[in-house]
Amino acid sequence: MFRRLLVANRGEVAARIIRACAELGIETVAVHSLADVESPHLELADRRVCIGPGPASGSYLNMDAILQAAEQTDCQALHPGFGFLAENALFAARVLQHQIAWVGPPPRAIAGMGDKAAARRAMKAAGLATIPGTEGVLADVAAARRAADEVGYPVLLKATAGGGGRGMRRCAGPAELERSFAEASLEAEKAFGNPGLYLEKVLLGARHVEFQVLADRFGAAIHLGERECSVQRRHQKLLEEAPSPALDAAQRNASGCRAAEAAVAIGYASAGTVEFLRDTDGKLHFMEMNTRLQVEHPVTEMISGVDIVQEQIRIAANQPLALRQEEVRLEGHAIEMRINAEDPDNGFKPDPGTVSVFEPPAGEGVRVDTHCRSGYTIPPFYDSMIAKLIVHAPDRAAAIALAECKLDEFRVEGVRTTIPIHRRILAEPDFRAGRYDTLWLERLLAGGEG
Amino acid sequence: MAKVILQPLGDVIERALDPAEARRNASHLAGLEAALDARRDEVRAGWGATYVERVHAKGKLTTWERLEILKDEGSRVFPVGTLVNYGRTFGPEQRTSPGAGVVTAFLRVSGRLTMVIANDNTVASGSWWPLTPEKIERAQEMALRLRLPVIYLIDCSGLYLPEQSHTFPGKTGAGAIFQMNSLLSAAGVPQIAGVFGDCIAGGGYMPIISDVVYMTEQAYMVIAGAALVKGGKSQKITSLDIGGPDVHVHLSNCADHRVPDDAVCLRMIQREVERLPTSAAPYYRRGVEPAPPRFPAAETASLFPVDYRQSYDVKQLLARLLDDGLFREVTPEVGTEMVCGVGRIGGLWAGLIANNPGLTDHPVLRGEKRPGSILYREGIAKISQFTRCCNDDGIPIIWLHDISGFDIGPEAEKQGLLGYGSSLIYTISTNSVPMFTVLLRKASGAGYYAQAGMPYDPVVQLATPISRLAVMEGRTLAIGAFNTKLDDNFEIVAASEEERQKIRQGMEGVESRITADMDPVKAAAQMDTDEVVRMDEIRPYLEVLIEAAYQGYGYRRVKNPRIWSLHDLAVLGEEGR
Repeated sequence: MFRRLLVANRGEVAARIIRACAELGIETVAVHSLADVESPHLELADRRVCIGPGPASGSYLNMDAILQAAEQTDCQALHPGFGFLAENALFAARVLQHQIAWVGPPPRAIAGMGDKAAARRAMKAAGLATIPGTEGVLADVAAARRAADEVGYPVLLKATAGGGGRGMRRCAGPAELERSFAEASLEAEKAFGNPGLYLEKVLLGARHVEFQVLADRFGAAIHLGERECSVQRRHQKLLEEAPSPALDAAQRNASGCRAAEAAVAIGYASAGTVEFLRDTDGKLHFMEMNTRLQVEHPVTEMISGVDIVQEQIRIAANQPLALRQEEVRLEGHAIEMRINAEDPDNGFKPDPGTVSVFEPPAGEGVRVDTHCRSGYTIPPFYDSMIAKLIVHAPDRAAAIALAECKLDEFRVEGVRTTIPIHRRILAEPDFRAGRYDTLWLERLLAGGEG
Repeated sequence: MAKVILQPLGDVIERALDPAEARRNASHLAGLEAALDARRDEVRAGWGATYVERVHAKGKLTTWERLEILKDEGSRVFPVGTLVNYGRTFGPEQRTSPGAGVVTAFLRVSGRLTMVIANDNTVASGSWWPLTPEKIERAQEMALRLRLPVIYLIDCSGLYLPEQSHTFPGKTGAGAIFQMNSLLSAAGVPQIAGVFGDCIAGGGYMPIISDVVYMTEQAYMVIAGAALVKGGKSQKITSLDIGGPDVHVHLSNCADHRVPDDAVCLRMIQREVERLPTSAAPYYRRGVEPAPPRFPAAETASLFPVDYRQSYDVKQLLARLLDDGLFREVTPEVGTEMVCGVGRIGGLWAGLIANNPGLTDHPVLRGEKRPGSILYREGIAKISQFTRCCNDDGIPIIWLHDISGFDIGPEAEKQGLLGYGSSLIYTISTNSVPMFTVLLRKASGAGYYAQAGMPYDPVVQLATPISRLAVMEGRTLAIGAFNTKLDDNFEIVAASEEERQKIRQGMEGVESRITADMDPVKAAAQMDTDEVVRMDEIRPYLEVLIEAAYQGYGYRRVKNPRIWSLHDLAVLGEEGR
């Protein structure tokens, strides 16, 4: 196993990776920006290296600085976490050139899944159903119109290089499509340097269901079941649970195995997430594959007992998967609530500042992934997430009850957080009944019927 | 258009040989082969169960376990150099070094034939003994000649230092291994290394030149281990700290990939071999399927008489070596003491040159016979020209030795046998086509040289349990040594019975010592022959060797049979009549 690993990330996920390394007996090097000098996670690492100023472009996105840090501390491996450079194929390739093991999939798989239209084609070829839409990039608005007529409105224009909702437009009819095409294309070009758009039918009432897969470098792959991530606002996940209330064991196993096989087919090797939209008929349509660790990975860890970060590191050290599919046991129900420093009264804008009191809950079936503590000042440059509260109980009702209880125990003062909205979600009868889709929360917040 | 029409050879064993004699022959060889098997098993056991347990206790596999995993399912290992150092002991503790502490073998991996060089980790942790470097270099040379990928399985604690003066400084000292690494690389021969454990000093250099180097988590490569590094003890540095995968895979770039354990390392090596070009052998078979010999190879042992001075029909042997027993003899009418021609082994063309041990017609004196297994002028001229044709046509040559030597006497000298013989030697010295030598029985005198014996660089030389490798037989040497005491009929001339007794004892002493020296195991122990095989293994070994000669493309000539130079020889033969 590696002697020393560099964690090319910050905050909560950096702390998570450092913990996994400690359990594997690997020393860690934490890199940080000037804005993160006081970050508590740095105390967990064996060494720390400052790599630049607060803005991420000068530090956490600065490939040269990170590689320099890895070289001068003799690291044998690098974990990119999520966000920042985690899905940057060029960075992965550069890390490998330094003879440093990249804790993630091969650069080609990252690039292949990063091009969303190409990913759709590859996964369709690998046997997954895709959302009705175009095969490749749309040549012009006329092509978009023809495609939309074929699959039926409403449709979604999406940037092929995209993510995070940029270059994305929902079009209810031909007039809107006409209007949005140039706009979305321009936005995509500005955001990603690639104006290419493709089109998908909007699946009304669909749920976001994603499968966690693990693939080693020897062509073996398994799945660890699915996560239900439909509780979103503005395409941002807020609360996730596993298993999904909408899937039965047969569909779970069949779809999970197909996702794992597809990962092998595209030459994937590491942990990865295959995202699907589940339509109202219960059919799963491939959406995209995330070639990194997911924020919501703990819910899967809770029900499977598999440490996904440790598995990523083992795979990077050329170890074959120790678990076979039939040995995977999924037990109980887990819910994760993202605790973000956001102001719900101000459109959920980030609310950086000093966390005067931070007292996370504890007890049986509770896990809090965080880098935060009382007195911690949230820097303004980065993501607003300060903690993840994860609960695990024998069944869904028990998990909800436990979550409510632990949210009450959670004391955060000094900044506004998403704790109140989680309380509200958990109290909703529709949520408690497992009846929700990806637009449910938006409707709830807009004061609609939920 | 010139065709190659093959004729079936041989008879069923019952017709080929008197059944009682066949049984006698078979049981004679069975005894010798059982002894050979026992010796090979002894070598394979290394230093025994205790050392196997030691290897397992470290979480490692033994060298032979590694080979079993590495090879393709259903294939077998074809070792060479098994008996090197057999019977030798070293130092005051009388240590043995089975197989010189290294296994070298032709091995089928991912469908390709490879040369595997694997330190035996059950023999002094894979250290290098006297002749270990030579054995490794010989295997590298075979690979270089045949352009076979080389796989190194390294688990070597360095030179066995008490014997360093025999393994370090000379022309074939350990350093020559690394020169061979370089020459293989320069010739474009793929080299793949897996480092499984200790890899100290010389062992440390061996993998580096390879195209790809895998290291297990237990492996380290160091110029000097912790024991020799200053301050090693006080700083609590281990060899793994100095040269483990953390250092060599990620910092020094002396190795390419780390792998958790032996099993994964072997899988990775198999995958590397999969990336190499596939074998050209199916292409050069030109649509012909490999076929077994016409009669079972297992019958081969029955053909050889118990008394080495008695003759046998060499064509019965060919019928048990060649696919379907089919053979095209070249100029059968001249030099009948030699049999040469072409046939297929495993579907691939081979040129075969065999001594015919029986009595053959005298070329000039009508009705007269002369003994076979001797090189006369006609036979020499025939096989010289045949090897030139094979070399020109790209047909690998197999020499089947049962040779007493060149013809001697005033007639032979007058005919200029020295010249004809030297012409043959010149030819085989400069041939570039792969040649393989099998010492069926006698391999004596300059005949052993002129038929591409070991000094003439056959790619591989095999011997059998009845091989007799020497300048001359013990009896002959005894006669030579006591020449002045013998009359024209080689009877002892002595003044007294006491003196006669003394001379007889002296002659018997010489004869028995020389005969003992001709033991093929002894020849193999000192690397005068590459491997001693059972009679029924000759065909399987030749199958592998001939396939190996055809595996690589582009490095040697392989002509279509329609344009063989051999046809010219046939035309001239016909015209000559």
